[in-house]
Amino acid sequence: MPPLLALDRLGKRYGAVRAVDGVSLSFAPGTIHAVVGENGAGKSTLLRMAAGVVTPDVGVVRIDGEALAPHTAAEAIRRGVGMVQQHFALVGVLSAIENVMLGAEAVTGLGRLDVPRARARADAVAREMGVSAPPWDEPVERLGVGDRQRLEIVRTLVREARVVILDEPTAVLTPGESVQLYAMLRRLADGGRAIIVVTHRLDEVRDHADQVSVLRQGKLVSTRALTRGEPGLLHDIARDVMGEEPPPALERRTSAPGEVRLAMKDVHLGRALHGVTLRVRAGEIVGIAGVEGNGQRELVRVLAGLAAPDRGEVHCEAAAVVHEDRHREGLVLAASVRENLVLGELARFTRHGLIDAAALEREARGRLHRGRIVPADLDGTAASLSGGNQQKLVIARAVGRCERVAVFVFAQPTRGVDLGAARAIHAEIARAADAGKAVLLVSADLPELRALSDRLLVLARGRIVAELPPDAPDAQIGEAMLGGDAAEANEGAAGATA
Amino acid sequence: MTFLAALLGVTLLAQTLRMSVPYVCAALGGVWSERSGVVNIALEGILLAGGLAGVVVHVATGSAWAGVGAGALAGAALGALHALVVRGGVDAIVSGIAINLAAAGGTRFVLRALYASSSNSPPVEGFRSVQLGGAGGGALLERTLVDPLTVATALLVGASVWTLHRTRFGLRVRACGEDPGAAASVGVDVRRVRLRAVSLGGAICGLGGVALAYDQHQFQSGMSGGRGFIALAAVILSGWRPARAAAACLAFAALDAVQILVQDQAHAASGYLAQMLPYVATLVALWAIARRRGGGAIAGRPPAALGKPME
Amino acid sequence: MSPRGRAATGAAVAGVAAGWLAFAILVWIYGDSPREVAGQLLAGTWGTAYGVGQVLYKATPLLLTGVAVNLALRAGLFNIGAEGQLAVAGLAVGAAGAALPLATPAWIALPAVIAAAPVAGAVWACVPALLRARFGAHEVISTIMMNRIADAAVGLALACGLAIPGTVRTPDVVRGARLPRLEALGLPSLHGSAVSLALPLALVVAALVGGWLARSRIGRETTLVGLSPTACAAERIPVARRIGVALVLSGAIAGLASLAPVLGSKGYYESGMGAGAGFGGIAVALLGRGSLTGLVLAALLFGTLEQGGLVINARVPMEVMSLLQAVIIVAVALADGRIRGALQRGAWA
Repeated sequence: MPPLLALDRLGKRYGAVRAVDGVSLSFAPGTIHAVVGENGAGKSTLLRMAAGVVTPDVGVVRIDGEALAPHTAAEAIRRGVGMVQQHFALVGVLSAIENVMLGAEAVTGLGRLDVPRARARADAVAREMGVSAPPWDEPVERLGVGDRQRLEIVRTLVREARVVILDEPTAVLTPGESVQLYAMLRRLADGGRAIIVVTHRLDEVRDHADQVSVLRQGKLVSTRALTRGEPGLLHDIARDVMGEEPPPALERRTSAPGEVRLAMKDVHLGRALHGVTLRVRAGEIVGIAGVEGNGQRELVRVLAGLAAPDRGEVHCEAAAVVHEDRHREGLVLAASVRENLVLGELARFTRHGLIDAAALEREARGRLHRGRIVPADLDGTAASLSGGNQQKLVIARAVGRCERVAVFVFAQPTRGVDLGAARAIHAEIARAADAGKAVLLVSADLPELRALSDRLLVLARGRIVAELPPDAPDAQIGEAMLGGDAAEANEGAAGATA
Repeated sequence: MTFLAALLGVTLLAQTLRMSVPYVCAALGGVWSERSGVVNIALEGILLAGGLAGVVVHVATGSAWAGVGAGALAGAALGALHALVVRGGVDAIVSGIAINLAAAGGTRFVLRALYASSSNSPPVEGFRSVQLGGAGGGALLERTLVDPLTVATALLVGASVWTLHRTRFGLRVRACGEDPGAAASVGVDVRRVRLRAVSLGGAICGLGGVALAYDQHQFQSGMSGGRGFIALAAVILSGWRPARAAAACLAFAALDAVQILVQDQAHAASGYLAQMLPYVATLVALWAIARRRGGGAIAGRPPAALGKPME
Repeated sequence: MSPRGRAATGAAVAGVAAGWLAFAILVWIYGDSPREVAGQLLAGTWGTAYGVGQVLYKATPLLLTGVAVNLALRAGLFNIGAEGQLAVAGLAVGAAGAALPLATPAWIALPAVIAAAPVAGAVWACVPALLRARFGAHEVISTIMMNRIADAAVGLALACGLAIPGTVRTPDVVRGARLPRLEALGLPSLHGSAVSLALPLALVVAALVGGWLARSRIGRETTLVGLSPTACAAERIPVARRIGVALVLSGAIAGLASLAPVLGSKGYYESGMGAGAGFGGIAVALLGRGSLTGLVLAALLFGTLEQGGLVINARVPMEVMSLLQAVIIVAVALADGRIRGALQRGAWA
């Protein structure tokens, strides 16, 4: 019998880079199959080809042995392959049930939407999943992250998906919510489906997956079946992922932290921040842990001076801020690398209203080399750089202001960035602190926070709810993340026992 | 009749209703296009093209209904052209400017080619015979309400609301206007939906052009007079909602009607001031709506994908 | 040539080719011979000294409105209001020129009257600029509204005393305020044509604006704001201020476009003078793609079309030129998109 889903020598290039290079893989029903690798290894691209969202340059996707043709998302859905993307494909202003219906709407004559029928079907699916149904008439943008993810899964199941692919599903969940998610996925797998999870978190793989495939630089490195409790397995997998021994921990100069350079006291902002209080001293790295949507963006905006708090005090000496979204706040994509490297600093190179091109060139070139940006072409556009190099550019710009600032704020500095670039960025962050700057690191990546922070603060629901040592266990951090709202905690419990 | 009495009289109501038809049609055209995510400033040109097409066919065939069909078709064709050009990578505003330019010049070109005049077409009867019923306010109101184009426009408003919110097509249009990436990943053909929505909008707008020409009983070069842009302002004001846009159009049409009244009553200077009225009102409305925005309410803000390039 | 230069030239060539194709089709539909009509057009424009002069005369305001629209485009704005801005400026220049004492020498009269143009244009752009910068109201609608209001405002001002009674024109400006025609300044071969000192003035302005955009801090920041307002705001570049200033400056330059007809040609302002240059400027800006050479060549092209339209009007309606403008705009934009996409195919996903 042919495998439920088979990827046959798939390949995809973006420009000069081979994102996926000759990968063959098959997936069987009844299993949870993890696909792991670092950022940039090609996992998302590979599975998006499987779901018909991206067209491969070479190779074939086979479902039940038959090639997927035409290679579109609509056809893949029709054949039973559904994907829950990392950034949910939900339309915010539409209601939950409208989102479920979109693309495969139940209709009566004249094209009229048959909402009751759709709702009945969706309720049935939710029961099978073992979760409570989300409020169907509520606009999706008002729903929490957990509800939205469940909604996405309901949608794929309503279309009778036999293969469900999830791309980094736990990136937006607290540790407790992740456990519930995997319990639900196990239930679905037991129902005869093939569940594929794309992730870079090896601890999840160890705890929940039946099979694990490792991708590195677009190529398939290994596929293993996991048996519980095999020691050293995780280490082997990690070595496959990184291609060598894992790097040693970052060296940090330990010295007593200096004066307070950044202080926030009881800061409120709209519906996002409800009394944030924190302090960062010169030479220390304070990490802010928390999943997206708990006020991180607004916190950074306040510190960058882009939003004025409704209440509370902010004392922040001159700061360089690296925002979380490099495409929106970090870079002018259509402008040259040169202009991006000195963005906002033109006044420094201006004499009598005109720009001193030579001085600007010197500074830009210096930052380009120090940041090890590749290709080292000041004239190229920022858009032509890879994600990792784009992020290196933004960091190089911030670090280039080192002498003029006392505070650094880094928001999600290694999101979507390949391993090599991430390591370089971590080194820069450590160096900034060692140079006596006060560093605030906001990240949803716990391992990153653990590696860099001197102290860990947990941001939940717009408030700092806990201060923990960086080596505090996951469970403790997870509990703190839920700490902001008792109601959410109760709902989580109900989901697990249903 | 004193100014005040005229203001409150039936004549004003009749004039308002009569003049609102092109505005409402253009506004509906704008709503359908922009709710699907395609900025459409070509409404002005489509009004002209629809009006000319209607008149040309009416003159050639003698049938007012044939003219209506031609106007709608011309509007749909221009709408489709706009959607395709935007799909080809051209900024929607550039495409709109080009269509307006082409329509302005093209209608004059056709007028000269067919009728040897670059400003007027031969007269047409339309649906309202001038002689019937006399010239009083009440009679005008009656004629307007009975005019098939007025009725059609009113029906189109209701139909647009229903279609947008209760049918599959409407759901897909809304999805494409908010998050085309999400819609595409669940199998919606975003390009096709947008093409259909913009063409539909163009057809309705073309109807408005026919109504405009039939109302004046001829086509005059440049007769749209900015209505297409005012209708677009109405769309923005109303938060891209069909029924509210229609209401805003009624308000603008009322201003037009007042302007006629003023020009009847007084002399040159106030005539010019009255001429400015609808445009100044539009500016004020733009300001008011822009001030209010930023509240983050769900309803009333533009479709999120509006103005973003098509993928 | 740099890849970007190649893309721009390729797009321009595609545009002109499409324009020629459209011209041929339209003339053929009208029942005439494209080659003959084209021949007549060329003969009447570049074939005689008078024709060349007229082309240059018509190209002058187009260059300025093109520069104005281009400046706004760099900042991410569409200034559709050049039409109204130059109408108001023309009235201001005509009225100012007529109001001066008769014997005012040129070195006082000219600068004074010339200055009225950009000031009036800038003032007319203030409302849309404010609406956009402070409140985020899209400038397409507000500038178009200002065009229509300009029509009425100019009519009102003329009716209220600025015009010679019974007409819609201002009295003649004083002698000192006239811009001498080039034929009088030693180029007698351009005999009879209306091209004046306004032309070199326009070239100088175009060069200055180009230099400002490329080399001055505010100019560079304005361009960056046009490319990504959010990134610039995050780096504390004053986005609203740059946008507002760009639109007002654009209005000022559009106002300068009224100098050629009012001071260089007729010597007074008449209602409707200069109409078409506003929209023509949009075509010039879109075809010229931001470079000085491009803008000049585009202005010459559309100036040729405008003069040519008059020449062939007896055979083929001159309105065909608006259709050509539209076709060229779309063709250039389409070609540019395709070429730019192909060049950028190396972009990381």
